[in-house]
Amino acid sequence: MEYKKSTIENLREALDNNEVTGEELFNEAKKLAEESQKDINAFVTILDKYKSRPKKKGILTDIPYSLKDNFSTTGILTTASSNILKNYVPVYDATVYKKLKDAGAVLVGKTVLDELAMGGTGTTGHTGVVLNPWDKTRLIGGSSAGSCASVAAGIVPFSIGSDTGDSVRKPASYGGVVGFKPTYGRISRYGLFAFASSLDHVALLTRSVKDAAIVTNVLKGEDPLDMTSLKDDGLDYTLNLDKSIKGKKFFYIKEACTFDKKSDILESTLNEFNKLLDKIRSLGATVDEVSIDKDLLNAIYPSYMVISCAEATSNNSNLTGIPFGNRIDGSTYEEIMFNTRTEGFSELIKRRFVIGSYVLQKENQDKLFLNACRVRRMIVDKMHELFKTYDALIMPASGGIAPKLGEASDVLSDEYLILENHMAIGNFGGFPSITLPYGFVNSMPIGVNITSNILKDSELLNIAKQIEDLLGYIGQVAGDKNV
Amino acid sequence: MIDKKMLENYAEKLMFRMKDDELDTLESEFDTILKQMKLIENIKGIEKVDPMTFPFITYEAKLRSDLESSDSLSVDEVVSNTKHVVKDQIKVPKVVE
Repeated sequence: MEYKKSTIENLREALDNNEVTGEELFNEAKKLAEESQKDINAFVTILDKYKSRPKKKGILTDIPYSLKDNFSTTGILTTASSNILKNYVPVYDATVYKKLKDAGAVLVGKTVLDELAMGGTGTTGHTGVVLNPWDKTRLIGGSSAGSCASVAAGIVPFSIGSDTGDSVRKPASYGGVVGFKPTYGRISRYGLFAFASSLDHVALLTRSVKDAAIVTNVLKGEDPLDMTSLKDDGLDYTLNLDKSIKGKKFFYIKEACTFDKKSDILESTLNEFNKLLDKIRSLGATVDEVSIDKDLLNAIYPSYMVISCAEATSNNSNLTGIPFGNRIDGSTYEEIMFNTRTEGFSELIKRRFVIGSYVLQKENQDKLFLNACRVRRMIVDKMHELFKTYDALIMPASGGIAPKLGEASDVLSDEYLILENHMAIGNFGGFPSITLPYGFVNSMPIGVNITSNILKDSELLNIAKQIEDLLGYIGQVAGDKNV
Repeated sequence: MIDKKMLENYAEKLMFRMKDDELDTLESEFDTILKQMKLIENIKGIEKVDPMTFPFITYEAKLRSDLESSDSLSVDEVVSNTKHVVKDQIKVPKVVE
């Protein structure tokens, strides 16, 4: 058994056959985590000791994993990768962490994110930039940067992240791994530091679709501590992964995949995507090109920015430095708050908060905030209409490969506005959505994203598994040959 | 139109200060932001749509009963994340002189 390339399934088998112990797996993961820090910087904290006290032994018992540093973990530093929380040690457990502890999964470390999860590059955490294990001159993407890098580098077989716009599914594409965001509310958000509550999802990174099903099985279910959590659907997602997709109907969005001018990378990515669609058709499924009003598609990203910044402004008002956080003294309580927030937030976060405040001003509320919420409804209604005919939306997760550090995008181009940001649709409507590797461009991995109607998590995982079987990227880690 | 004075005022409302060069960057960033936000206004028929603030309607939402017992934090836990503690209370400067 080669640890780095092992899926949860492989490790479970090795543990059950007494080929390895949980402590040995933890020590291996810890060693890899420590060695990787100077190259990819995935971790804020690496734990010292193996700890597994399952309430009941199960499939995740003794399996190592990493957790994004915006989940509350009693007694373990939790910073959200922000200076304002650089000394914060929680006194309660997030529900997902508690469930994983009860299942006997072994936490290896807390991973770097874009500060307060507000970013998509993995470059803004207070402990520095997270780099892509496939090419250390490139980003891994964010905000679940360290989580993705730790799975892509083979340090852990799974990691828990959060996804507000595409924060798990975009890095998954850049890192050549699986990123799954179930239906909104499928997994409790209790103990996840809120960024934009109406868009926030707990999501996960694995090296196979089956592993995504295994972890979701353990995490899903209603939680009295999160009133937005859904009743458990009672399904075992691992038992519905072998159904043929013959007769299934897929669509992709024409306006997101049609460009007058294309860079070489975009052209290669779209070529690979078209090849994939042909392979899917060869399984007996249909894939149609569907046109959606381009003005509406162009408004997705700005609407996402408006809604998420507005919600973030409010959600982070609890960061005062008084009951917790890195307090900077002052002569009045207001001065303490001013000093703490001035020192504690990076410039980027302050800019995002100001945008949030701007759109919430009385004179801008209808024109900006409420109109963004109207765009949200229009796009979600359109998706519900399409899901009456189609089983899933299938799209390139990105128009290319992980960008080089410092590489800038034209943020007003159609490519940026539509192709680079369409996955926010999944957050607008709470749709289950998964990214999985489907090929390489310039020796870097690329990912395909598949999105289904709400509550169809099990059906989506089955579709993804069938496509994964077709392509064969199971257990892939950085450095694997371009297949 | 956006100017630095307005941005400074928003930052003040959010209880942080921004340096002059940070405000310059933000002011120029707003040029792009406003162009992107203009895209929202281009949508035909948007005024007839109800704003959506939640991904989908859940017909069953439980509120915790007031009397339901739940775990609560001990005083030691509550004050464990601040150095400014006096007699089990978090200390701030005098509010009333």
